[in-house]
Amino acid sequence: MKKLLFALFTSVSFVSVAQEKLSTTTGHIKFFSTTAAENIEANNYKAVSAITPETGKVVFSVPMQSFEFEKALMQKHFNSDKFLDTKQFPTAKFKGSIQNIERLNLTKSGSYDAVVLGDLTLHGITKPIKQNLKLKIENGKVTGYSNFDITLADYNIVLPSGKPTEHVAKTVNVTVDLNFNSTLTASK
Amino acid sequence: MKKKVLIALALIALSAIGYVAYLWFMPHRDIQATKADAEVTASTLVDEFLADAGAANAKYLDAEGESKVLIISGEVTKIDTDQLGQKVLLLKSNPSDKLGVSCTFTAETNNQVSGVKIGDQIKIKGVIRSGAEYDEDLDLIINAVVEKSSIAN
Repeated sequence: MKKLLFALFTSVSFVSVAQEKLSTTTGHIKFFSTTAAENIEANNYKAVSAITPETGKVVFSVPMQSFEFEKALMQKHFNSDKFLDTKQFPTAKFKGSIQNIERLNLTKSGSYDAVVLGDLTLHGITKPIKQNLKLKIENGKVTGYSNFDITLADYNIVLPSGKPTEHVAKTVNVTVDLNFNSTLTASK
Repeated sequence: MKKKVLIALALIALSAIGYVAYLWFMPHRDIQATKADAEVTASTLVDEFLADAGAANAKYLDAEGESKVLIISGEVTKIDTDQLGQKVLLLKSNPSDKLGVSCTFTAETNNQVSGVKIGDQIKIKGVIRSGAEYDEDLDLIINAVVEKSSIAN
């Protein structure tokens, strides 16, 4: 009986493996447009992002009205229905996963170039994108960095012809800068 | 006659310059100086977005980004600092609530919250940027985002 109980106990007891889920609610996203007429830069410090290392899942949620410009008028134009229509589409989202997850070791200090593949939803349009995310692990802290271009027309962001098209580039450069907090989540 | 025409042209030129200057140097909205549009509890605001996000966006957000200025009351459940050094307070009506209202202060108002602790009941005035949602697809808790915050009395 004792043997049976022991065997039963060991077979049904789970080992809790603590997995770190990386998350942040203060991610920085910058977008930069350059034309002959002028350079435009906008910064957002409220990006929400999470990475689940065991699955490689990467998600983002960005409140569009948190993008700030030096010129107030530019900020108004950015939000208007002529451009990003942020009242209709208040958040941009990304859902994807790290392709080369087996190369990732969050317990070891170093730098990892994660290849992220997923869907970006911007201005109500969802398109697949594949970009690099550089993950850096230093003194137990994880940071993420990415820099890539977005072609506005891909997301139905088309400016009325004339002056506006001279001031905003057709392709804008996006920088993503993240300082992750890690939360230990027990999993079976 | 010629003098009158010259004066008229000068006035037109000046007003044109003035208008361009106004557009160019248009001041950013001063949230602290703006009267609040409404006063809500953290859970009331969250529930409104959870019940009907479309209706809540139409009610609280502005087409040009000059969205509603709200006074949100709740309990401080988390204190954070963003990459600009701005303090961020997460407000919930009940600490066990899944979603809350994340309020970011400014360099000018940061000192108002230096003495704030987790568990404090507080009223914060700020501008709403986006609503609260739990995105099942992303498995992501998204708190409502309020910025340019200050303590309201």
